[in-house]
Amino acid sequence: MAIRLSRRKIASYYADELIAGRDIVRSLAAYLVDSRRLREIELIVRDIESALADRGVVVADVTTSRSLTDQAKTAIQTYIKATTGAKSIELRQLIDDDLIGGVKVAVPGRELDATIRHRLNLLKATKV
Amino acid sequence: MAELSVTELSKDLRDAIAQLEVAGDLETVGVVTRVGDGVAWVHGLRSAGYSEVLQIETVDGIVEAFTLNLNEDEIGAVLLGSDEGVSAGAKVTLKGTVLDVPVGPELLGRVVDPLGNPIDGGPAIKTKQRGLVEREAVGVLGRKHVHEPMMTGIMAIDAMFPIGRGQRELIIGDRQTGKTAIAIDTMINQGRQKTGVINVYVAIGQKLSKVARLVERLKEEGVMDQTIIVATGPSDPASLLYLAPYAATAMGEYFRDNKQHALMIYDDLTKHAVAYRQMSLLLRRPPGREAFPGDVFYLHSRLLERSAKLSDDLGAGSLTALPIIETQAGDISAYVPTNVISITDGQIFLETDLFNQGIRPAISAGLSVSRVGGDAQTKAVKSVGSHLKLGLSQFRELASFAQFGSDLDEATKSQIDRGQRLTELLKQHQYTPAGVWEQVASIYAVSEGIFDKVPVAKIKEAQTALLTRLWTDHKKDMQELNKGGEKINGDSPFAKLIEKAAKSVVKGFED
Repeated sequence: MAIRLSRRKIASYYADELIAGRDIVRSLAAYLVDSRRLREIELIVRDIESALADRGVVVADVTTSRSLTDQAKTAIQTYIKATTGAKSIELRQLIDDDLIGGVKVAVPGRELDATIRHRLNLLKATKV
Repeated sequence: MAELSVTELSKDLRDAIAQLEVAGDLETVGVVTRVGDGVAWVHGLRSAGYSEVLQIETVDGIVEAFTLNLNEDEIGAVLLGSDEGVSAGAKVTLKGTVLDVPVGPELLGRVVDPLGNPIDGGPAIKTKQRGLVEREAVGVLGRKHVHEPMMTGIMAIDAMFPIGRGQRELIIGDRQTGKTAIAIDTMINQGRQKTGVINVYVAIGQKLSKVARLVERLKEEGVMDQTIIVATGPSDPASLLYLAPYAATAMGEYFRDNKQHALMIYDDLTKHAVAYRQMSLLLRRPPGREAFPGDVFYLHSRLLERSAKLSDDLGAGSLTALPIIETQAGDISAYVPTNVISITDGQIFLETDLFNQGIRPAISAGLSVSRVGGDAQTKAVKSVGSHLKLGLSQFRELASFAQFGSDLDEATKSQIDRGQRLTELLKQHQYTPAGVWEQVASIYAVSEGIFDKVPVAKIKEAQTALLTRLWTDHKKDMQELNKGGEKINGDSPFAKLIEKAAKSVVKGFED
C-alpha cells in the first residue's frame, strides 16, 4: 500500500494543478476513494483553499443577514486584497438571519467577525 | 435599591460593549474537528506554538486549552475546563501567551486551583506578578551547595536522614503508611520553629475532603498564613492534575527568587504520572513501559530540577521539594518510583510492617538515605545523630540472629537493649514536631546509655519527663542549644546539663 500522504501535501499538489489550469478533480476523488479517506473531504477542501490562498488566489466567505450591495462587495474585496495581498479574489456570499446584523468575512485560516451575534456572544461570556 | 441598579447596570453594559469593539483586522482562526475525553483536535492555526493557550468559542463562553501535539495536519490540544460545551466546528483563536499563573505573597493562606483561581470561597486574588508555569531550571552558576537545615521536626529524619534547604527528598511508601503525615508535620514545624519557610502543598487528584481536613489542621496550628495550597480533586480534568505541580512550583519560585525559602510538597507524583499517561494516550502518543509515554522521566526531572539553593548573587533563596510517591505492595522497582528515586537527592522509605508494629513514623532505616543533607545538619544534631545511626545499624545486625538463641554475651545484649530503646525513642506522634534541643537531649540521653536502666516501654515517658525538667530548670540554656551551633559531646556544658537531668529522671523509672 502506498504511503499515507498528509492532507497538506495533497492540497499543495492540487492547488498547483488548479493554478496551472488542469482539472484533476476526478483523479483526486478516485484517490480519496481508493485510500478510504472520504471522511476527510471537507478538511481537504479547506486545505486546498488555504494552499490556494498561499499562492494568491483567495476564496472568501462573506456572511451577512441581508444581501450585499455591489458597493459593499467592492469595499470588501478591496479590504481583503489589502490585508491578504491576494492577486485574485472569489467571493462566496451566504445569508444567515441568525447574525442579526453586521458582516463576517472568512478567508482561509483567518476571519473577521463583525456581526451583532458575535458581539452578543462575547458580551455573554464577559459576565457583567 | 431596584431603582438605582437600572442606571448603574446600563452604564456597566455600555462599558462592557465599548470594550467589545472588534479590532478591524482578520484574526487567525482554526476550527475544532474532533473533541472528546478532554482533548480537542484543531484544524488550522498553523502559527500556534508548543504549550500555547488556545481559546475555543462555545455557546457558554470561552473554554481554554493548551497545545501539546503539533502535527502537519492538525493540532492536539488539552482542554483546561469541561469539554461539554465544546463541539466540532467551534471557532478556535490563539490567546497569544503560554500558560502562566498569579504569583506573590497575596496567595499566602489561600487554597487555589492550578490556574490560580481561589477555591476557598475567599475574595478574588489580585497579584502584581504572574509566573510561567513551564520555566527553565536555574543553571549551574546560579546554584550553591545545600548547607542550611530544613528541619522536619521528626527525630528519625532530622538525625539520620537530614534534609537541607534546596534539597529534593522523596517520601515513598505504600498507601496508609503515613507519607502525607510526614509532609504535614514538616509544614507545621516551619510554623512552630518560626523558620519563616513558605509551604506550598500541591494536592494532585487527592480527595477534597482530605484537603479540607488539612486546611483545618493548618489553621489550627497557625501555619496557614505561610502556606499556599494548590488543590485538584479526582473529578478535575487530567490537564489540571498535570498542570498542578508546575503551577505550584511557579508560585514557590517567586519566594525562592525573592531571597526567601519555600518548601514544595507534591502529593503525589504517582497520580501526576497517571494523569499524564491519560493525556498522552488520548493524544495518541505511543505507550511504553506500564503504558507510560516515553517522556515520563523528563516530566518529573524538569519539575524537580526547579528546586534549588540559589547562589549569593541571586539572593541565596531556596526551594526545597518533598515529592511523595505511592508504591504498590512495597515495590520500589516499578517504573515511576525508580525514576523519581534517581532524580531526587535521597528518599525516606516508609514500610507497612513497621507501621503495623506501631513504629510510627514507619521509616525504614535501611532503605532510606539522604545524599546531600549531611552538610546542612546543625552541629548539635549532627554530633548526636552519628551515634544514633551507628547504634541502630548495629542493633539491626544483631537483632536478626539474636532471635535464635538466648545465650548472648554482655556486650551483644547491651547493644540490643540500646537498639530497642533507640527504636522506642524515635516513635513520634503526629503533629508533635520536635525542636533541635528536644531532639538533641532525647537522643543524647539514650545513645549515651543514661536511659539504659529505664524499661523499654517507659522510654517515651522518661523522655517527656527529661524534656519537662530541662525546660523548667534550664530554659535559657535550652533556647541557646536550640540554635544548634555547638557540638554535643562529653565535654560540652550542654551535655553535662542533659546528663545531670537525665540521671535524676532515670531514678523515677528504674525497675
